[in-house]
Amino acid sequence: MASLTHSTPHRMRRAQPMKLLTSGAGIVFVLYVLLYAIYAFLQPSALSSSTFTNLVNNSVPLAIAAAGETLVVLSRGFDLSVAGVISLTNVLMAVYPQEGPFGALVSLTICLAVGGIVGAVNGWLVAILRLQAIAATLATMIVCQGLALVILDAPGGMVADWVSYELTDRLFGVLPISGLFVLAVVLAWLVFKRTNLGLGLYAVGADEQAASLSGISVIKVRFAAFVGAGMIYGLAGFMLSAQTATGNPNSGTPFLMLAFAAVALGGTSLSGGRGGLIGSILGAATLMLLQKVLFSGGVSSFYTGIFQGVVLVLAIVFGSAFARLTGRRTAA
Amino acid sequence: MTSQVDVMSKFQAEQDTRKARRIDRHTVSAIAVFVLCIVLILASRLVSPSLGSWQQVLTVLTLASFLVVLSFGQGLVILTGGLDLSLPAVITLGGVLTTTWIGNGPGAWYMLPFVLAICGGVGLASAIGIVWLKVPPFIMTMATSIIVSSAALGLTNGTPRGASPDVLLLLMKGSWLGIPAPVYFLVIFAVVGWIVQSRTVFGRYLYALGTNRDAARIAGVPITLVSVLPYVISAVCAGFVGMMLVGYANGATLRMGDNYMLPSIAAVVIGGSSILGGNGNFAGTVGGAILLTTVGTVIAAIGLEQGLRTIIEGGIILVALLLLREELFERLRGLSGKPRSGG
Repeated sequence: MASLTHSTPHRMRRAQPMKLLTSGAGIVFVLYVLLYAIYAFLQPSALSSSTFTNLVNNSVPLAIAAAGETLVVLSRGFDLSVAGVISLTNVLMAVYPQEGPFGALVSLTICLAVGGIVGAVNGWLVAILRLQAIAATLATMIVCQGLALVILDAPGGMVADWVSYELTDRLFGVLPISGLFVLAVVLAWLVFKRTNLGLGLYAVGADEQAASLSGISVIKVRFAAFVGAGMIYGLAGFMLSAQTATGNPNSGTPFLMLAFAAVALGGTSLSGGRGGLIGSILGAATLMLLQKVLFSGGVSSFYTGIFQGVVLVLAIVFGSAFARLTGRRTAA
Repeated sequence: MTSQVDVMSKFQAEQDTRKARRIDRHTVSAIAVFVLCIVLILASRLVSPSLGSWQQVLTVLTLASFLVVLSFGQGLVILTGGLDLSLPAVITLGGVLTTTWIGNGPGAWYMLPFVLAICGGVGLASAIGIVWLKVPPFIMTMATSIIVSSAALGLTNGTPRGASPDVLLLLMKGSWLGIPAPVYFLVIFAVVGWIVQSRTVFGRYLYALGTNRDAARIAGVPITLVSVLPYVISAVCAGFVGMMLVGYANGATLRMGDNYMLPSIAAVVIGGSSILGGNGNFAGTVGGAILLTTVGTVIAAIGLEQGLRTIIEGGIILVALLLLREELFERLRGLSGKPRSGG
């Protein structure tokens, strides 16, 4: 990671349509469309709304988790607790199901609160006590995994019917409801990005000292990034539970690597200050779509990892090559 | 801003105090970790009389030998400011290749090094991505990890077969003068590892690289070679841990490496190394590995359920981090002005 530290001072620019295309989010969007074309070619049913809903439902938990991770990565941090929070909230949903729409609201609140508390602990350890982010969030992740195991020691339990049926359904027979949650996250992000805190996030990630000298409270920004990320992981756990309808104390583990993969694929720099949440969501969607394409292309599911890994590396190599060619930094 | 002379003298002064602090701090934290191990083993006697015996010490050391080998490689990578997330996948690869290609048939003598070379190749691939393609270590090793575990899965069709070569059974199950063979191995490996990291030119290059890359380049450190080698060594170590596990359990599974990812980092961090690189000592890491294994064994023997064990494990990492915090403060203060990443 030390190799990427020499960043020039970050310049904020309003995203322009032409430039958007060569930004991280733009590249991954083009990649997604290309992959979808291949998918439609291999599998004609790909264009039907039920297949699309399935795809969206599958991608949503990872997309939301990656969106949360982006907040922390932008502030030049790492958050491994994503796996722990997802496992913990998933287990809570399965062991204490709350029926009906009101119950779903209660569950959602619990998930957000759990995520927020874990995020606050992370923020306290990293922003205030200045522990190394990887090590501190590693510890909170392990503790969360342990709590999940205490609540449910083996896969089982049932998520409330209302949650698992309604949230995986379609609105007006077309719009996947789970997609609306992602949309809500995106809208919240677009508003947040324009607040002082949102601007501070980029500033702290790009150059902590400069940010601090220009009057931004680095501690406050870092802390807020972790709390926000934690709450979003809680939402990811909520959506995962709707998706799987059951509990698994290890359900969050696969999200650890894939969330970072999605963030990197979406063009967010892992050394902070550059990138955005929308790219990460598209990155997550691309990773999940890739699985479908490979499956319909007759590739054994054993080998999907090989393709995911190669795509990840290629995306980063080409992404940074693009960034160097266009000679500028994006904030899309 | 300031004249050049001022900057030079300031830099020298900082470096001098840092060196003094490094020696002091690492001796102290290594000793502290070992003392903590002994206290923990003795204290476990209070919980159950069967604990804290000589036999249990030997069991702990046998189990710790896996982690010691693994965290040596991880420690070298961390020393240069990187991180190797591909270790669990490479452990599995080493183990699975050993049972499926060699098994208990002949040819172990030339096939075992060949399998290790393949593992080293994985490390080389990571290093190529990191050094030449400029992919961040975190992402690159994650990508190789996904690729390698997928390859291992495909290679075995989901169910690894075969048994352990006799050599590995001898290494892991044999004993001499009433002491298990892995304990001798652990001691030899710890000494050799310490010499490599602290008493060779290569080791000193690693510290130089992790502390300040540009300064190291100017000082004539062969940057490329020194950046690549830790990943190769780390992957070979992981492959060897896979073989050790095969010898210990007389078989391989596709999840055999999964539980070693976090401990490999935790052992290095508990041993007093900075995860930011340029700082650390293998003696501390060995202590960290033994401490983690001791905690694991004691907690398992007390009969706590898996969840509570995991919580305690996380709590211990947290406490170790908090104890090291003061030094970190000073370190960060010493580094202020230099851009920091990954922390």
